[in-house]
Amino acid sequence: MKPADGSIMNETDLTGPILFCVALGATLLLAGKIQFGYVYGMSAIGCLGIHALLNLMSSAGVSYGCVASVLGYCLLPMVILSSCAIFFSLQGTFGTMSALVIVGWCSLSASKIFISALDMEGQQLLVAYPCALLYGLFALLTVF
Amino acid sequence: MAYHSGYGAHGSKHRARAAPDSPPLFDDTSGGYSSQPGGYPAPGAEVAFSVNHLLGDPMANVAMAYGSSIASHGKDIVHKELHRFVSVNKLKYFFAVDTAYVAKKLGLLIFPYTHQNWEVKYSRDVPLPPRQDLNAPDLYIPTMAFITYVLLAGMALGIQKRFSPEVLGLCASTALVWVVMEVLALLLGLYLATVRSELSTFHLLAYSGYKYVGMILSVLTGLLFGSDGYYVALAWTSSALMYFIVRSLRTAALGPDSVGGPAPRQRLQLYLTLGAAAFQPLIIYWLTFHLVR
Repeated sequence: MKPADGSIMNETDLTGPILFCVALGATLLLAGKIQFGYVYGMSAIGCLGIHALLNLMSSAGVSYGCVASVLGYCLLPMVILSSCAIFFSLQGTFGTMSALVIVGWCSLSASKIFISALDMEGQQLLVAYPCALLYGLFALLTVF
Repeated sequence: MAYHSGYGAHGSKHRARAAPDSPPLFDDTSGGYSSQPGGYPAPGAEVAFSVNHLLGDPMANVAMAYGSSIASHGKDIVHKELHRFVSVNKLKYFFAVDTAYVAKKLGLLIFPYTHQNWEVKYSRDVPLPPRQDLNAPDLYIPTMAFITYVLLAGMALGIQKRFSPEVLGLCASTALVWVVMEVLALLLGLYLATVRSELSTFHLLAYSGYKYVGMILSVLTGLLFGSDGYYVALAWTSSALMYFIVRSLRTAALGPDSVGGPAPRQRLQLYLTLGAAAFQPLIIYWLTFHLVR
């Protein structure tokens, strides 16, 4: 896999991530699930958890804003998944497979940015796994 | 707006650190940014000045600067309190893992019977980090396994149409309480048996967290293959975990100078280890059987 440029995360902004969270909540609302509180709560707690884990696992520290920014930007495929949930129910084989693919896509891109920005070697899958768990939580919310 | 508050906060944070007993009540942009790295203080001061003029309301600036200084002060307090309870460097030792270690350790947890050497390697009296020593305990696997177990419980309940986010929280807190109680019981047992070993709380947390890997496997096979698959996986992972814990803790709990220790104390430690190992299958069963109906 091509390594990403490590200087992407030199400036962090939270506009995009907050926009994507609102978009996720809006598409969930269109699908009939009023779960804004859960989306915001889970994203906050998930960001805290990944921030703590990355600080423990990497030699260089990472700031909370950087973590929130990366995780928020990589949430975009999940918005695609929940907009699919408006048109047809995801509780079936196709829904589960597409949820797994989307979760894998989100977590691989997030982990690629993290390891290139924090210069951690040999740990991409280890960083991808907790990101996959976090996005799996969002997928649970979308599917069920 | 975000641009200005970012610079303003950085300036006031610098000020608060330099003079902790008198937090500045306003952003003094007349100079004194000389020691800041990055080279952006001068344009930052100009931007701050221009936005100040744009805002035209000094009270808002005062409030913003005061709020950001309070926020950074609060963050410093949180960090200080956290460092009092948890030594971050010791904790970092347990997370210094890489993918090869995790893969081999997971294989060891499922099939420990062919592993020969269970000693933890040292280098000049300091135990090697998990990256370089397969036998060293780590906290990455238990943490991830715990969170995976909670998610898997949510998915299993969702498949059985019993899912709601409150139930997820209930599962998570139940499992957490069991972990805390087990670690406390082990600590109490070690204290009563007056074992002077190298097992810190984090070691015990790591070893009691390894059972979540077995739990996840049992629940997965139970979901895929039904009740029979669940019991087969439960039996296999319980015996593998018991063997793993007994072999690992026997060398660790004995301590560095116990070769000539009194016999009843060694026997007590052995009973403690065996008791801890025998307790694992019960907990695994207790925490997973309601997910596989």
